[in-house]
Amino acid sequence: MKQIIAIAGTTIGEAIRRKVLLVILLVGLVFLIVAPSLGALSARSETTILRATMLGIIQLTSAVIAIVLTVYMIPNEIERRTIYTILSKPVQRWQFLLGKYLGAVGALALMMLFMTIVMIAVFTGMQNGDFGRAVTLAQATMMFFVQMSLLAAVAVCFSTFVTPLVNFFLSGGIYLAGSLFAPMFDSLSKQQNTSQFSKTVTWAMTTFLPNFSYYNVQNPLINPSSTIQNPMSHYLFATGYGLMYISLLLFIGHYMFDHREV
Amino acid sequence: MAAAIETQKLTKSYKSKQLGIVNVVDNLDLYVEEGEIFGFLGPNGAGKTTTIKMLLGIIYPTSGEGYVLGKEIGDMDVHKIISYLPERPYYYEHMTGTELLRFYDSLFGNNDPAKVQRLLERVNLAADATKTISQYSKGMQQRVGLAQSLLNDPKLLFLDEPTGGLDPIAHTEIRDLILNFREEGRTVFISSHELSEVERICDRVAIIHRGVIRRQGKLTELLKGGRVEVEAEGITKEFEDSIKIEGAIISLKDGRLIVDMPEEADVNSLLDGIRSSKGSVTSVIPRRKRLEDLFVETVRDSSRVSMAEGGVEA
Repeated sequence: MKQIIAIAGTTIGEAIRRKVLLVILLVGLVFLIVAPSLGALSARSETTILRATMLGIIQLTSAVIAIVLTVYMIPNEIERRTIYTILSKPVQRWQFLLGKYLGAVGALALMMLFMTIVMIAVFTGMQNGDFGRAVTLAQATMMFFVQMSLLAAVAVCFSTFVTPLVNFFLSGGIYLAGSLFAPMFDSLSKQQNTSQFSKTVTWAMTTFLPNFSYYNVQNPLINPSSTIQNPMSHYLFATGYGLMYISLLLFIGHYMFDHREV
Repeated sequence: MAAAIETQKLTKSYKSKQLGIVNVVDNLDLYVEEGEIFGFLGPNGAGKTTTIKMLLGIIYPTSGEGYVLGKEIGDMDVHKIISYLPERPYYYEHMTGTELLRFYDSLFGNNDPAKVQRLLERVNLAADATKTISQYSKGMQQRVGLAQSLLNDPKLLFLDEPTGGLDPIAHTEIRDLILNFREEGRTVFISSHELSEVERICDRVAIIHRGVIRRQGKLTELLKGGRVEVEAEGITKEFEDSIKIEGAIISLKDGRLIVDMPEEADVNSLLDGIRSSKGSVTSVIPRRKRLEDLFVETVRDSSRVSMAEGGVEA
């Protein structure tokens, strides 16, 4: 366990110093700060637009950080030969992979926490000090964190056997498919006039790809008329689903990494 | 002496689109005794680093067997008592020397700041312990690398090009550290191109070319076959004719004698003979066989054999 914690700690230390990640974070923070001025461009309620924009910025920024952070993680260790000094110590490959993943999730948590604090501060300022309403938005970012941890697991899994560039598009593609198309596939499969082929494809996609849309819980927070029935059980289910998928992806990643020449 | 490393027909093959299956390491039989400094030599691409990676369990052999300190390669228990310094290592640049050593120490499940401090002092980095690795020179990075390789008090150290690209001062410092390792009873396995360095510090060497061990043995035995050149003046033709040394090349011109003889021949008898014939010895020059000569000769021979067998010259 000490080995995993040590590797995770080093990964966090390295990640929070990576300029590319800091630039992405900075862009996200700038957008969060200027988000209130974007409300003026819409005819809808300013508060609704502000909530939707801020949560959208955090989700998009976190997704880009999660992918950029993880696609280079294992290949860089191999290219720079740091992996050799680590694996020549009493460290198993699974410990190394798990340590790197947990480090990535830790760095992601720090960056998302920072963005959430800025979002709450800006929102509270715009709502004349209504801190309580601002904090409710944090519920969504917590679910985004589970979503990004799942996305990081997808990218770490692929990073054990594909190049970073391929991984970038592959992980990004799976995230988009899982976020946007899963609900669409779901409704398609329920329609009577859908062909059997489409239903099969729908079934395969929704069964094998992680469903990232479970974590898109921002609608009830943006629009009070929309609700999640029994939110606690939904959050617990989505978190459990995420942990299950993360375990599976890390297991596959470990299998590939263990059979790979480094 | 027990074996620190022993391999039997250890082989690593890769599939190549152009060449089919290529044996990067081919039926390697290696024997390294405990407590010795062993030089593992070969040109670029000979299979040195692949061999080290197999011995460390980082990559898997295609066939054959290998034992490190009596345990099968890849055994995690062995990793507690061996260490590795890779060629041109990279360390996490944001860390200080102390943080880096504490990180590596934690990989052994330890947290011993006093030991870290001692090791930094040992490699002369105590004064720079709070500098980040990015501020370290190449020599300092190599020294911190050696310090990390000593964290577990290893019985066996694998050093891949430990003095590569270092200035003469750093060279000497690293060499002295390696010599100290032998005095402490550690086994050191060095892969290097620095032949003069290897010749100075190694007890035994192996030369690998195209994945095959071409020579292996004690340096003193492998470097046998040097010559001694004796030069003298005031020598008569009669004395020249009386010289009977097997393998000697003798020339006499205007009373000046030059005898180029094998180093194992009796030089003292010749010198006594010159003196008793009223000649005077002007110089005695030993021409020892160098490791460089042996290395070049071995690689050339191996290349010639490969060419004769229809191989492709590297």
